[in-house]
Order: sequence, then structure tokens, then C-alpha cells
Amino acid sequence: MIEAGHFAAFLALVFSGLQVGFGLRTDRERAGLFAKLAFVTMLFAFFTLIWAFARSDFSVELVFEHSHTLKPLGYKIAGTWGNHEGSMALWCVVGLGFGAAGAWLLKTGRPAFEARALGIQGLLSLASLAYLLLASSPFTRLDPAPLQGSGLNPLLQDPALAIHPPMLYLGYVGYSFVFALAAAGLIEGRIDRDWAKAARGWALAAFVPLTLGIALGSYWAYYELGWGGWWFWDPVENASLMPWLIGAALMHSVIVTEKRGSFAAWTALLAVLAFCFSMLGAFLVRSGVLTSVHAFAVDPLRGSVLLAGLVVLGGSALLLFAIRAPKLKPGPDYVAVSREGALMGNNLVLTVAAATVMLGTLFPLLAEALGETISVGEPYFHLTFTPIMALALVALPVVQAWAWGKADLSSLWKWAAGFAGLVAVFWLAGVGPLDIPLLAGVGLAIAVWLIFGAAQEIWRRAKTVERLPKMPMRVWGMTLAHAGLGLFVAGAVLETTARTQTTLALQEGQSQEVAGWTMTLDDVSSIEGPNWYADRATLTATRGGTKATLKPQKRYYPAARMPTTETAIHKTGTADLYVALGDGRRSREGETRWTFEVFLNPFIDFIYLGVALIALGAGLSMVGKRKRPKTTEAA
Amino acid sequence: MKALLASLILIFAAEGQLADPQEEARAQDLMREIRCVACENEPISNSGSDIAVDMRERVRELVAEGKSDEEVRNWFAERYGEFVLFRPSSHGIRGVLLWGLPFALLIAGGALAFFLRRRQTKADVKAIDPEDAV
Repeated sequence: MIEAGHFAAFLALVFSGLQVGFGLRTDRERAGLFAKLAFVTMLFAFFTLIWAFARSDFSVELVFEHSHTLKPLGYKIAGTWGNHEGSMALWCVVGLGFGAAGAWLLKTGRPAFEARALGIQGLLSLASLAYLLLASSPFTRLDPAPLQGSGLNPLLQDPALAIHPPMLYLGYVGYSFVFALAAAGLIEGRIDRDWAKAARGWALAAFVPLTLGIALGSYWAYYELGWGGWWFWDPVENASLMPWLIGAALMHSVIVTEKRGSFAAWTALLAVLAFCFSMLGAFLVRSGVLTSVHAFAVDPLRGSVLLAGLVVLGGSALLLFAIRAPKLKPGPDYVAVSREGALMGNNLVLTVAAATVMLGTLFPLLAEALGETISVGEPYFHLTFTPIMALALVALPVVQAWAWGKADLSSLWKWAAGFAGLVAVFWLAGVGPLDIPLLAGVGLAIAVWLIFGAAQEIWRRAKTVERLPKMPMRVWGMTLAHAGLGLFVAGAVLETTARTQTTLALQEGQSQEVAGWTMTLDDVSSIEGPNWYADRATLTATRGGTKATLKPQKRYYPAARMPTTETAIHKTGTADLYVALGDGRRSREGETRWTFEVFLNPFIDFIYLGVALIALGAGLSMVGKRKRPKTTEAA
Repeated sequence: MKALLASLILIFAAEGQLADPQEEARAQDLMREIRCVACENEPISNSGSDIAVDMRERVRELVAEGKSDEEVRNWFAERYGEFVLFRPSSHGIRGVLLWGLPFALLIAGGALAFFLRRRQTKADVKAIDPEDAV
């Protein structure tokens, strides 16, 4: 079976090659046909892998190394992409999937352009397939077949983390198609309004899963690691944030190109960069270079090949860009105070933010290469990334109403007064009842400002209640995404500044006060699951009349010889009461004391709700424009 | 004897907090900035390893002694190397580069965009119906 998959993957490689050939010779029909064939054959190859995992076929080396008979079926299947080789296979499937979708959906009326785009997409797929088959083949057999597998990393045995990689890859690889569109446009020297109309949907189609993938990873880290936080500025997280920020810049810049024909070169550059940053993210995570430059030596081939690919791809795309960009037609004139100017500001902030994340992430590696070891973590990003982003968030509600070309500034003083008033209110409240730091007051003011701004913007466009439901989907999408951003900021500010952490040490029957809650340890028992056993504590938390039972676990997976924490979370309505079980230690009297890390995480749901709204908004704005509502008055 | 036992328990629970809530909050903020030397990319606030427990205790001691944030950080940097600080130093070329570059990029990028645009734009630009777009 797996041999059939191996053969199918080779066949997909051949079809991709044909896709490239016909694509670059501008044969739209045949390039499209082979794009679809390549996808179908690779999908079959991937299913043979999934099948091997589902059946625990340990004669396949990959299954032996990353699976175990005691694992629940769902996680056996998810194990297919929970390792290097399998995730590369997934990367290929997704890349070919976007090629097939492009072959099917791309209807610009310019077949030569479409064929070239498919050809370049095929080239990217060809490269990843070659890498899969030559440097990280998942189709290797073991003889004799072992009787038992050596297990999957138990941290990964989790629903959020099972679907996190496919989501992330849909985003990363989705940008490969945007890259292909940009490269094809640059080859023809035509990055114009029609081009942008076609590219915008694909940029959003990559942005939505990337957003969801990052959110899932963050949520997993929140409840699985037992650290209480939701974003740790860990290099692996930063690696996914960089393409997200560039992708966010791209989806705003492409609007200017679509509506006005301006920013053509810049939009093409962002389209190229979004995929380069996606590859950089994959390289950083896959090569192991992040923890230390020395880890690079662990598997130099894989890392070097990925890095070489990134350099060749990025270099040639930038060269193409440098040759063609000066020839692109500029759009109509505009002054600084205009929607073009506003979106330029948006792009400036988002790209500088991405550059800041890159600097903070790669700086320790550079320093280590020069013989110094330093760390760059949360405090650095809070003092650089956050204020830079805050600039854009404060400006957003004001400048989104600016007209194309030249905006009217007569109402600017109202906006300024409104924001100043909002900040004053939160500052005063912060000193008084809320007991939050002053800067957090500013953060909350920005959150309310964004939500208000989103509501104001859709009202400004609709003008009457009757017209509200008839607003185009993309206006609703924008409104929801910007309101979601506000909700996210509110959650992030509250959670970061007002989170409390307490360590408890309790014997059975003892209680202690934490953040207004009385925590009583009822008992600790041993329980067993399919491939793990655990200590499970039962805690009763009471505050006033409310009572909650929390059952945090410390699990041990014998097959992987690895402990994990299973946190217990009680939603109080305004916060998460979050408990992670630590070690049990015998005291002198022979009693066992159990340690607990107890967090009170206020409004953490706002963070995930906000991000979900951003993804939903971006998704809605993909929906085609409805016919304008017929109104007698002139708009 | 009972008093002795009680104090033993107190020492055992020394992972316990500082009495002054403000000092405790400051200590906890510092713990989030200091890297556990035995773990992979974790601050000592999150780690359950023995060394992290010791380091946390030391942070509380230093804070209780009235040391400033800077002094606490320096104490750890001297003992374990700058590697333990998640807030890298802003001194020297390296520090200025790391901390200054984001803001320099923002200003330079803004200036560049402004001047490039001004060179291209001729006189009289008219406003366009904003309803036309998102």
C-alpha cells in the first residue's frame, strides 16, 4: 500500500513538472489539467500514509517512530502530520491543492497569465515534492516490522494541536499561490486592477486559515503547558506571526491596487514576501535552528536544503521584482491625507512590526554566531512591537473614513477629542475602581476605540437602518474584523496586566485563599487512560455562593517516558480560574503536599473571540460583491 | 517543638509569597523576565525545575532586601551571564541596534514614503467617493 503511495508521489512529481512546462508555455488548459492530476495523485499518496497510521502498520518506518497501538484512532491519524516527513507531505498536498483550486477557479479572462501563474505554482510544488522524496521520504519500510511503535509526543495528543498544523499549512502554502500570481503578473509587467481583483481572494484564503492556525496553537499552549499565558514570544510562535503580519499588510495593500491601481509594485512585493516569510517560518521551526545555531548541525541536510530553497526562491523573486517594478504603471495622484495615505501607514506599521519580530527572533542567533549568548523575550516585544502597533490601532477608526485621493480633515478635531476623552476616562477608572496600571488604561481605551470605530464606520456607510443589512459582505467583513481586533486588544491588555499567579502547597483536606477563592484539596487519586496514567487532584473552589470543582492532572506517558500537565479551567464568566498540578512531596510527618499553580486569567476569552472575529471578517470579505442596493438619492 | 514544626512547614512553603503584595507583584514581574537555565526557552516563573525554584526564591530575597529591578537583573546577569535576561541590555552597539532599529525603520520608512509620493504628485488632487471601496 505504502509503495503505491510512494509511486503516486513520484507520479505527482511528474505531473507537476508537466504543469510547469505547459504553464510557462502559456497552455492554460493543459497546465490546469496537470495541476488537478498532480493534486489527486498526491492526495492518494497522502491517504496511503494516513491509512498506514490508522492501521498502525509498523513496517512503515514513520509509523513505527511516531505511533503506538494504544493511541486513540483520531490521534493516530493526526500523527501522520505530527512529524517532519509527514508534515512535509501535508505541505505538498496543500500546495498542489491550491494549484488545483487555481486551475479550477481562476477566471480572469487572461489565459496566458493564468497559465504562467499555474506554471510557477507548479514549480513551487515541484521543489517541495523533490525535497519530500529526496531528503525526507515518509515512505520508507522497515524489515522486519517491529511489533510496537515508539509513540507520538504526548504533548501533541490533543484536539487543538491535531488540527493546528493543517490550518497553519493552509495559510503558509496558500501564500505560495499568491506568490505565483505576483510572479506571473511581474513577468507580464501587469500588476493592475484586474490582477488585484484576482489576487485579493487568494490572499484572504491564505490569511483566514493562518489566523485560525495561530489561534489554535496559542490556545493549545494556554491550556496544555500549564504556564497560564497565551503568547510567550517563543521563536516558534514568532515564526508564524511574521507571515501573518505581512499577510495582513498585503490584504490591505491589495485593496488600493484593486480600487485605484496604485501601490502595484508594493503589493507585488508583499505578495512575494508573504510566502518568503512563510518559508522562513517553516525553515526556522523545521531545522531546529531556533533553540540554538548548534542544533542546526543535528540535521544539516534538511536545514541547508530548506535554507537554500528559501534563498533561491526569494532571490529570484526579488530580482524579477527589481527588473519589473519600475515599469509598472502608477495609479492616479493622491495626497498624504487620503485613503491611500492611510493604507500606506497601515502597511508601514505592519511591515515594521514584522521586521521587529524578525529582529527579536533572529538576533540571539546572530549574537550566538558571533560568540555571545543573549536572550530576547517578552519584555523586548512589549516595548517595541506593542507601541508600534498601538500607533496604527489609534489611527484606524479615524483614517478608515478618509476618501481616496484627498480626504477632508474638518472633523479631525472631533476624533482627537473623542480619543482623548476615552483615554481620560480609563485613566481615571484605572486609578480608582479598576486598579490597573495607567498604560493598561490606554490599552483599554484603544480597545473600546476600535470597537466604536468599527460600528461608526459601518453606520457612516449605511446611513440608515434599512440599508444596514444590504451593505456588501466585504464591508461587514471589514467591520467585524476591526471590531474583533478591538476585542482582542481588550482581552490581551486585561489578561497581561491583571493576571495573578499563586503557588499553593496543600495536603488533602487543607484549604487556602487565592484571589478571592477558597481552594480546598479534597483528594488526589491515580487514574489510568489508554496510553497514560495520571495523578488527578480534586479541588473545590468556593467564592461567596459559587462553587466549582477542578480536576487538574499530571499525566505520564510510559511509551514516551514523558510527563504532561492537564490543566483544569473553571470559567467564572469574567475570568478563567486555571489550575495546574505540580509535584507531590512528602513532608517530614509523612504527609504528602501537592503543589499547584493557580492563575486567575481575566477576560482571556476575549482574545480568542477577537481572533475568531478577525478570521470570520476576513472570510466574509472574500464573498463577492452584491449588487449595490438601488437608492434614489446620490451616495 | 510545635513552633519549630510550624517554622519547618513555613520553610517548605517558602515558595510562598512575599508579605507585601506590591513587592510580590514586582518579584513576579521579574520572574517572567529571567530565563530558567535548565529549561528550553522558559522564564523561571513557569518552570517546575529545582533550579527555577531556587532562582525564584532568590528573586524574592533580593526584592525583599530592597534591590531595584535593575539591580536584581544585574545580579542574575553577573552570576549566570546575560543569557538569563529576556530583556537584553540596551547598552553598546548591539543594544542600540536591537532596541533602536524598529523605531528607526518606522521613521525612515515613513519619511521615504512621504518624499517619494511628494515627488510624484503634481498639483490639485480631488477626493473620490469613498463608498466605492472598502
